[in-house]
Amino acid sequence: MDHAEAKARMEEIQRIMERATLWTLLPGTAAVVGGILVLAGCGVSYWMTGSLDFAAMLDLPVSQQVLFCVMWFAIGVAGVLLETLLTARSARKQGMSPTIRSARVAAFSLAPSVVVAMVLTVKFLIPPIPRPEEIQYIVPVWMMLYGTGVYTAGLFSIRAPRVLGLVFLTFGVVALMGLPQYGVVTAALSFGLLHIVFGLYILGKQRQGLES
Amino acid sequence: MTEAFKPDDIDALIHERTRLAIVSALAVAPEMSFGELKEMLSLTDGNLSAHSRTLEEAGYLKIDKTFKGRRPLTTMRLTPKGRKAFQSYLKTLRQIIDQGDQPREDG
Repeated sequence: MDHAEAKARMEEIQRIMERATLWTLLPGTAAVVGGILVLAGCGVSYWMTGSLDFAAMLDLPVSQQVLFCVMWFAIGVAGVLLETLLTARSARKQGMSPTIRSARVAAFSLAPSVVVAMVLTVKFLIPPIPRPEEIQYIVPVWMMLYGTGVYTAGLFSIRAPRVLGLVFLTFGVVALMGLPQYGVVTAALSFGLLHIVFGLYILGKQRQGLES
Repeated sequence: MTEAFKPDDIDALIHERTRLAIVSALAVAPEMSFGELKEMLSLTDGNLSAHSRTLEEAGYLKIDKTFKGRRPLTTMRLTPKGRKAFQSYLKTLRQIIDQGDQPREDG
């Protein structure tokens, strides 16, 4: 074996070890709890506006509009915190550092899409005059960008996160093209139910192993 | 100074690409099921089965076949002998890489 082959082998080993590490750290519980939080948020949104359209928030008094935005911001922050804390706990349980390279790479892969989604959300929401059709774009835009980020992050792990990313991306396109006025429903189905199903799938695989 | 590398130092059992992938994954995850390994390494049933059996026969791998409910579940983990062999293989790789990285003396 020559020097080049040894280097190639070493890199291959590192890639596999990182993938195996990420597999053991995928936060199924965070996905389930995050999904439940989103479902609750969708329920509260419907209760506040009486509509399945997020743009109906523009009909609320300003104080309630602020409350509406703060609630969704809090759900987003809670989701990120949960994922971070549970991944770190899972890593410690297995005797690994919570800041292992593979976890950092996955987080950094997801971050740009999320930042773009946040910037667009602020742009859509901030006056002078927020327009209903722009508010309606928020959920599909989040679905597509989150899907892109999860797909990219999934390149460093197993197939399941990549599939989740592609499903989000597809749902996002459908929501943008045909269902923008049903943002509460599309958010509940994607960020809510889909996350719960994904989380349960990961938990099931991690606890029981796949079928032989 | 880096020890000189001898071709005999390479463990042929682990050096094979698929077996190296199996051992590398199990070096990180304490235990993985047949299905998990198959999915993670994109292997076929037959391929994973054949190579894991070879590793088991060499004493590098412990394979447990149990049932989860009515469904069969095969799990694998590295034995201490397998872990030691993997570490030794890594050490050999590092030696070869270090030797290649050292500047050559001409003349």
